[in-house]
Amino acid sequence: MVLDYKPTMLLNAVHMEFSPRYHHTADMLLDEQMIIEAAKQNPEHFGPLYDKYYKQIFGYVYQRMDCKDTAFDLTAQVFLKALTNIEKYEYKGVPFASWLYRIAHSEVMQLFRNKKNLRTVNADISDLRYICEEVEEEYMEQYKGILMSVIKDLPEDDLQLVELRFFEKRPFKEIAEILNLTETNAKVKLYRILDRVKKTLTKTSKNNGN
Amino acid sequence: MGTKFNLNRQPVPDEEINSHKDFGELVNKFKKQSIEKARSDASFLKNKKATYSAIIAGVAVICTVTYFSVFKKEPPKETTNDKIVTKQQHTYSPNTKPNKAFIAPPISRLNVPYTSYKVKSEQGATLKHTSNSKIIIPKKAFVNKQGQDIVGDVEIKYREFHNQADIIASGIPMTYDSAGVQSTLESAGMIDIKGYQNGVPVFINPEKPIIVEFQSEHIADRYNMYVLDTVSKNWVYVKRDNSLKGLKTQESSRASASETASKKTDSPKTIELQKQIDAIPPKIEAEKTVYTKKINRLPKTHEPAKPYKAIAGRPQFELDVNYKEFPELEAFKNAVFEVGSENKNYSSKLADVTWSSAEVSEGPIKGKNYLLTLKLRERVEKLIVYPALSGADYDKALKTYESKFSDYKNLVAKREADEKRLKEEFEAKQAAFAAEQKKLSEEMLKERIRWQKEQEEQLNKQFKTMDNASKVTRLFNVSSFGICNSDCPTNMPKGEQMTPIFTINSGGAFVRPEHTYLVCHSKNVVFNFYNPTISYDPKDTYSLCVIANGKMYLCNKEILNQCFSAKQNKIPVTELSSDVNDAFDLRKAIGI
Repeated sequence: MVLDYKPTMLLNAVHMEFSPRYHHTADMLLDEQMIIEAAKQNPEHFGPLYDKYYKQIFGYVYQRMDCKDTAFDLTAQVFLKALTNIEKYEYKGVPFASWLYRIAHSEVMQLFRNKKNLRTVNADISDLRYICEEVEEEYMEQYKGILMSVIKDLPEDDLQLVELRFFEKRPFKEIAEILNLTETNAKVKLYRILDRVKKTLTKTSKNNGN
Repeated sequence: MGTKFNLNRQPVPDEEINSHKDFGELVNKFKKQSIEKARSDASFLKNKKATYSAIIAGVAVICTVTYFSVFKKEPPKETTNDKIVTKQQHTYSPNTKPNKAFIAPPISRLNVPYTSYKVKSEQGATLKHTSNSKIIIPKKAFVNKQGQDIVGDVEIKYREFHNQADIIASGIPMTYDSAGVQSTLESAGMIDIKGYQNGVPVFINPEKPIIVEFQSEHIADRYNMYVLDTVSKNWVYVKRDNSLKGLKTQESSRASASETASKKTDSPKTIELQKQIDAIPPKIEAEKTVYTKKINRLPKTHEPAKPYKAIAGRPQFELDVNYKEFPELEAFKNAVFEVGSENKNYSSKLADVTWSSAEVSEGPIKGKNYLLTLKLRERVEKLIVYPALSGADYDKALKTYESKFSDYKNLVAKREADEKRLKEEFEAKQAAFAAEQKKLSEEMLKERIRWQKEQEEQLNKQFKTMDNASKVTRLFNVSSFGICNSDCPTNMPKGEQMTPIFTINSGGAFVRPEHTYLVCHSKNVVFNFYNPTISYDPKDTYSLCVIANGKMYLCNKEILNQCFSAKQNKIPVTELSSDVNDAFDLRKAIGI
């Protein structure tokens, strides 16, 4: 399949700054690994990991729901699950955070499946503008509703990608780790989603022109 | 699943997020959850349904097993003949991990292979192994499981383990627990011997044991014989390994070397140190004499006598005193001698007698009173008298006394100070000598250990470089097939502890060890660690093997000792090369 968008466009997205949340140097990874090994022996040693990642995980959870209290409860649940299963954790050359994000994602999805909470997408207007820039469309007020509608209707996996990239502004490396994909695969998937968005926007624009 | 879209939602302030952070609560929940899980596991067993299910399943299993064992003939199963007679005194339990074979070679391609020999049972044989060890099999040495003599060919499978690489490669457990204390066997060599006829295990006739003259690279005479009981998973002590002493053959070179070694029990440095140590007590004695003399030479003090004021009415004598003989009476010039109240024999009539002689000598209280002896022909009277002054003489004498007493006090103080100083000087010198003696003793002890090790290593080297005929021969008296060794227990290394993180080639990939072997280079011993924490003696030299996910990783002694010296727990390891195909290659790879 021929893509409409060149990868460089995404990598150099014009006004958007993508910043890693948790990426580490090799030494930091080693130090983190030491803490994990210690935590496997004694749960009290899990403290530094909890302190380090609490805010990030809460941010990730709350990004996907409306209720703050539920988000706090679920964050606690994520860490409890991590501590319970830390013995099974295997180092695969990526930061521990990616494992926590996967637990968080699983917990969030479980919550929505149980219909105890409504899946929520949280974004800023500026984020929608970035998406428009990304698909080489000039942002117009009428696009807001269309974009919101398109994004809301995306399948969960696609929505995850859009959220992580545009609303949480993560680099592809982190996205790939969280979603357990290769970086290229993450990029390709996102281009395809944007392709669909672009088509919808172009269609709307034409309709308005007509 | 419906989706809601929020635009420009207010972010949650950091303070609010942090206020929900409660690590203590998380740990409490975790602990509570663990306890509940443990209880639920226990209650599952109490659950009636579960119990009935277990009973039904158990009955089904028993029925199935019984059916198969009674009605189905299983194909002949290979049995082993390495069960040993356990009538020895001491039993040690090697440490074993659950769900793991007792003898589990970590990498199967490295395992020490057996060499097969064919022997006619009725004839016996003397087999010469590639290592030059001899296996002496007497006639009719083999019996079947009914105890009947075996006739015909018997296949002997034999292998030897000489060094740390052989130990690791074979997977033979070398650790054991003696009364709760974990030790490791330091090996002078092991053998594994088995016998089969047509694939069926045979046994050794206990009255005709096989003798193995094992060519050992380790000459020290401190080993015991053990056999490995693979059924009870225990090392079993057999006897003290005295085989070196009893064997005359092939020993001449060792004997001469040992003689040389024993003649030279101490190194020149040790002898020199001993001399220095021996010289210290006489030095202390000499110093003591010097200081005693110094103290004796200090000016002596004599307390001046205080003038005594004559009491009116007391009987007195006037005497001519030789002041040279009684210098203390100088102060009592013009003194009279007052008769002391203690003289019960005194009467006033004594004063009326003209005595032919009167002598004054020292009284009972030296310097204070005197003994006056009055004689007239045979009559002798002795009186204790006190020199006494009166009027201006007393005042003058008192002044003189006060001046002399002041000088006396100063002199006493000075003498005391000098004495104290000299005593302190002596004690300091004595302490310095004691410290020197202790230091020299410690140095000598270290030197002795170093010398002994050096001697042992030299002899070991000497024997390694010698041809096989010159190696030490240890006799294994094999009365049952299996694994025997000549070993001695060694404590786990002490000094430092570390929880290493093993990284492959210093890169980002980690190795999570299932089993860590710490290979000691000063002794033929491998320490096993199944936990993340290892211990080591910083004065010793080691290399390291790590087993993880069915692979072996190595860290050579140079790198490992650098890590140990720097107390750096990130230990780089390299995966064992695929070129390493046997225990011999492994030995080279480990660097022993």
